[in-house]
Amino acid sequence: MTQALEGFLQALSAGLLIGAVYGLMCVGLGLIFGVMRVINFAQGDFMMLGMYAAFYFFTALGVQATFGNTFGPFVAILLAGPVLAVFGYFIHLTLISRVSGTRTSSLEGEGHYAQLILTLGIALILQNGGLLVFGSVLASIRTPLSSSAWELGPLFYDVSVFINKARGIDAVISLVTMLLLTLMITRSRIGKSLRAAADNPTAATYMGIDVDRAHRIAFAIGTGITAIAGGLLATNYPFHPFVGIEYVIVMYAGVVLGGMGSIIGAFWGGMTIGLVQQMSTLILPTQLQNAAIFVVFLLIIFFRPQGFFGRMVERT
Amino acid sequence: MLRIEGLTAGYSAIPVLNGVSIKVEEGQFVAIVGPNGAGKTTLFKTISGIVRPSAGTITFGDHDLLSIRPAQRAHLGIAHVPEGRQVFPSLTVMENLEMGAMTEAGQRDWKHNIERIFEWLPILAERRGQFAGTLSGGQQQMLAIGRGLASSPKLLMLDEPSMGLAPTIADFIFERLIEIRRQSNLTILLVEQRVAEALESADHGYVLEAGRVALEGNNQTLRADDRIRKAYLGM
Repeated sequence: MTQALEGFLQALSAGLLIGAVYGLMCVGLGLIFGVMRVINFAQGDFMMLGMYAAFYFFTALGVQATFGNTFGPFVAILLAGPVLAVFGYFIHLTLISRVSGTRTSSLEGEGHYAQLILTLGIALILQNGGLLVFGSVLASIRTPLSSSAWELGPLFYDVSVFINKARGIDAVISLVTMLLLTLMITRSRIGKSLRAAADNPTAATYMGIDVDRAHRIAFAIGTGITAIAGGLLATNYPFHPFVGIEYVIVMYAGVVLGGMGSIIGAFWGGMTIGLVQQMSTLILPTQLQNAAIFVVFLLIIFFRPQGFFGRMVERT
Repeated sequence: MLRIEGLTAGYSAIPVLNGVSIKVEEGQFVAIVGPNGAGKTTLFKTISGIVRPSAGTITFGDHDLLSIRPAQRAHLGIAHVPEGRQVFPSLTVMENLEMGAMTEAGQRDWKHNIERIFEWLPILAERRGQFAGTLSGGQQQMLAIGRGLASSPKLLMLDEPSMGLAPTIADFIFERLIEIRRQSNLTILLVEQRVAEALESADHGYVLEAGRVALEGNNQTLRADDRIRKAYLGM
């Protein structure tokens, strides 16, 4: 009995920790796909680039030497965010803006077909380019904290929960990043104009808001956020140039689960996926983790097609 | 202030506007009336840059408007209160007004503007924290007007502010507009299907029919015109 309870609490805490990082990862796509309605299949590969950026910041660009082995990885990960945001900005400027925003607003499907093909193409280039540049050897951003834990407890009946230190810090960084992003979106002028541009691009233009620029900023922030999440995942999971495919489906599932257009929703969508993934190991073999995620996904969407925070009303 | 000459515009190959010329002087209240499909909304969208004209010129002050990007036009002092209100549903009333004040002049005069807007349209002050999507049609219209005023515009363009509203509410909105105009001396360009009210409150009017200016004149001339009396005023 105690053992089952301990296992349950352990899976629950692991789910919450990984869920926080998945949540952040989904928020990045939530800005691009949920809010700005741009289909981006390269989001997973942007995340892969974020992982490698953090990796090289840590190993080759002096972060390890300056900040040490323990906390250096987290510094490198936070540096990778802005770098990938700049990358996202230029990808949008040169490519995505040609198939999205005001340019395609009058087209059938609002340019989604072109976005699909373009971003799949970008994904292929990044994956194979990554293979050439980074090689196929698994990389990881390990910190000594990845293999040590805090013990919570004993809580009751000698039950205690172990929290992996790296995952604990990952979750805290995720939550803080999420909090800062939420503040930016809800309080700042630029955040409000992003929401206005998403609500009604034409009316936003009447207000003097440059809608394409607003889209570009959202795309850049979304890319940077996902890159940070990628770096955080890389403290526990090794990665390779094709790692993006493993995560991009989860990202889309999280955004849809949370409700299109809702940033908070995307976070809870990712959190749900993290929880289901970890909790499913209690009753199912590990190989069925992903199957469990999508069974739960289908169940939720069956009963609540608009997702947790989605609205049923049609946008104007 | 606003000078439109020989404007031809439309969607694909079908012109909706056919050589339209319209003039708005500073401080004037100009109404454009006409039946559905006459091209009134297209005219406004062309001024705002959403529709590109195939011929003609638009000058605003000293600016050749057609060479200025759509999002920049608001910053010159043109506030467009669009047809069907088009408030930002997921933003609060206050945030909608802030979006109106994205222009430099709107930033500068924010305190003063918001005070006057709340004085003219007190319901907005009452509902300031509410999401715009949850407002009634009349309230959304008032918000759309307030949002336009928040930019400290030189020219306020109103596209059918009475559309889809109960007659008493439409009357109230008209009454507010006249009051706002009396106090602020704003230059107003109004598109309206309620011809009697529009011509009554405006200084100058244009009748747009099938993409052409069918008639123009000052308020008295138009209201005395036989064709207008028969076709629009039902007299």
